[in-house]
Amino acid sequence: MNKLPISMISCALALMLGGMEARAQSEVVWARDGDIDSFDPQRATSTLSRMVWYQIYDSLLEFDLKGELVPSLARDWEVSDDGLAITFHLQEGVKCHDGSDFTASDVKFTADRALDEEKPSLTKASWGPVSNVVAVDDLTVRFELSEPFGAFVPFMADEFTSMICESAAEHGDDYGNTVAIGTGPWKLESWTKGSEIVLASNPDYVNFGRPVDNKGAPHMDRLVISTLPEGQTRLAGLQTGNLDVIVPPVEAVAEIKADPAFNFHTVEVTGQNMFLQFAAHRFPFNDARARQAVAHGIDFDLALDIVFEGLVQRELCPVSSGVFGNDQKFCTQYGQSYDPDKARALLAELGHGPDNPLPIVLMTWTGDNRSKLLEFFQNQLSMVGFAPSIEVMDIGTLNARVTTENQRTEGPGSLNLMGWTWFDPDILYLLWRSPGAYEGYNHPELDKLLDLTRTTVDPKQRLPIVQDVMKHLLEEAVHVPIYSPGWLWMYASRAEVEGFKLGAFDRPLFNDVKF
Amino acid sequence: MTRYLLGRITAAVITVFAVTIAVAMLIHIVPGDPVRIMFAQSQGTTPEQLEAIRSRLGLDLPIWEQYLLYMSRILQGDFGYTIRGNQPVLELLLARLPNTLYLASASLLIAMAIGLTLGFIAAYRRGTWIDTALMVTAIMGVSVPHFWLGLLLLFLFSVSLGWLPVGGHGLGSLILPAVTLGLTNAAIIARLTRSSMIDVLNQDFIRTARAKGLPKAIVLFRHALRAGLIPIVTMLGLQFTYLMGGAIVVENVFGWNGVGRMAIQAIFQRDYPLIQGFILMFAVLVVTVSLVIDLLYALLDPRIRYS
Repeated sequence: MNKLPISMISCALALMLGGMEARAQSEVVWARDGDIDSFDPQRATSTLSRMVWYQIYDSLLEFDLKGELVPSLARDWEVSDDGLAITFHLQEGVKCHDGSDFTASDVKFTADRALDEEKPSLTKASWGPVSNVVAVDDLTVRFELSEPFGAFVPFMADEFTSMICESAAEHGDDYGNTVAIGTGPWKLESWTKGSEIVLASNPDYVNFGRPVDNKGAPHMDRLVISTLPEGQTRLAGLQTGNLDVIVPPVEAVAEIKADPAFNFHTVEVTGQNMFLQFAAHRFPFNDARARQAVAHGIDFDLALDIVFEGLVQRELCPVSSGVFGNDQKFCTQYGQSYDPDKARALLAELGHGPDNPLPIVLMTWTGDNRSKLLEFFQNQLSMVGFAPSIEVMDIGTLNARVTTENQRTEGPGSLNLMGWTWFDPDILYLLWRSPGAYEGYNHPELDKLLDLTRTTVDPKQRLPIVQDVMKHLLEEAVHVPIYSPGWLWMYASRAEVEGFKLGAFDRPLFNDVKF
Repeated sequence: MTRYLLGRITAAVITVFAVTIAVAMLIHIVPGDPVRIMFAQSQGTTPEQLEAIRSRLGLDLPIWEQYLLYMSRILQGDFGYTIRGNQPVLELLLARLPNTLYLASASLLIAMAIGLTLGFIAAYRRGTWIDTALMVTAIMGVSVPHFWLGLLLLFLFSVSLGWLPVGGHGLGSLILPAVTLGLTNAAIIARLTRSSMIDVLNQDFIRTARAKGLPKAIVLFRHALRAGLIPIVTMLGLQFTYLMGGAIVVENVFGWNGVGRMAIQAIFQRDYPLIQGFILMFAVLVVTVSLVIDLLYALLDPRIRYS
């Protein structure tokens, strides 16, 4: 009997088993560590969901690579002198995925739906004080506000204001589950929950504002968005060619960068701000000296160098680069520089030091080397007179825990490494305007300034107010900025994949992709 | 036999009933306000809306009324909606449960094929170097973590050899996760099979069968194996439920789209309706499998059948 050579058996096996997973031609496969919550941009908030919405929907405006506003579905816009009316003029000839024309009526439908009293958008507060939306004609829509709102126009470029076509109303509560109707470069084909989303190229697509070369439909026929929680498995998929673009595990970045078979991509402007915040209503962090001692006691530059090796940038402002108001030179004046002697002196004023260390709890959420960063902080803070312990948990638990710590009246001092992202300094309003996102620090003067950042529309008048807010937060060490980006900012692709790009605020772009 | 079956069914019903109480009360055991936690991601939810949600979920009712409300919904097939994405819980569970069942079943088949064979050989060759080698291998198999073994097999068969795909949901994608789970459980089955078979092979009826001059194969496979299978069948039922739980880690490593992975995510996201639905479904599955095993046990052991 002839014996088949092992290579032939290997080929047969690979064809039989691997072939069952054969990829369709002209499809690009993007693997991430989690799935979306919904295709409805008004029913979810996760970054994983937002990135998929960006493939299916357009917004009225768009951000260029530097984070500046440019036209998209709206070709231009006007703000009335009193800031109470914003009018958008729409592009002509835009089609929804179901073939219907995209008009001002769709914009009104989207806005009314977001502002609905009974079932509002989860980000309704960011729409601001909109009192009425008027479809003036097919290509003109006017938003009427009860008071000026400086963050409104930039919000019209965000994924949360993705324009949903009016035909979505026919699907009721099922919309976002099995149906998504937008105007974006990709149309929803199928969703196997927990496993993969398949998007098909939109042949009617016209690009008005995305920072890509291709002005029409994507080159590839399909975009498959796969869920693979384990980072090493995603890396294996990239190596075998099963996957084309992945979110790599942090520990594999050096290997990927060194390998000519792969390309490594990072987003420069994400709007993500990683910062320390404190349970500031009780001892010790109700005293600014304790907060400042923490900020003076840590060499953040060294920490970032050791833990991230150049993958992130030191951020000195409470809003990150690319966001209106960010100015490293301005923020340097008011934050706390590394000065362990000053940290010790401040702690001594509070009656603590190396002989009587002050117990505190450092918290953050899992992933992206954050726990390693806390270990570094723990080491440095213990040298200036703190006795820090570390707790790392999932983000949901952390958010709940921070609020709980802010409600406690006793216990060790609590601080946490947190991350928020936004494209506008309105993020500071969401975080710190009483009662605040976590019901923590509040200050009447800060509240007044934050109110003004919302009601001041003119950027030239708004900037000094935003700077005053940042000055307060930095001097009082309420919000101690450390670095940016903080999560989901790195991508790896196979070298054969050309045209993969990353837009501002962490927006993956597949319009130009071809092999 | 009838009394035996009725007793087992009654115990199963009581167990499920107890689980429903625990599941219904879960939302009150966890620290913090569950409604606030559920809507932590929503900027626009007012205190009035939180109260309305609390009322809709029945959380403002006395505990016993909440339980009755919960049971009436469950019995009508209403497992509620997920907090994230507002998707029907029962639909999500039923869509992904088959994947976990496929994985657990495939793993069990692999575990049985390897474990029964090795255990049988070890028992037949007890005291020899074959027996020692097989049992040392079994100990190693039990000690190896699923996570590590899974990644090892992935890099060997997918990356180095290119025989199998990474991720996906077809037959080819099932092999590695099933082998990962199956290998570690094969070790447990091998050891149990060996113990059981040694016990049976020492029995008088086997000595009698040999003395009568029956062929070795008849003695081993018709007489010894059948008697030796009784405790193994019981263990297989427990192993199946263990595999369902162990599938969680393996599902994460290989991206296999089962309920285990979904449950982990629900726990991290504090999606209570989904967590409750998963626990209840899992409990019903375990109880059902245990009941089936008890029935099989009665079929195999005449002493039970005629009692």
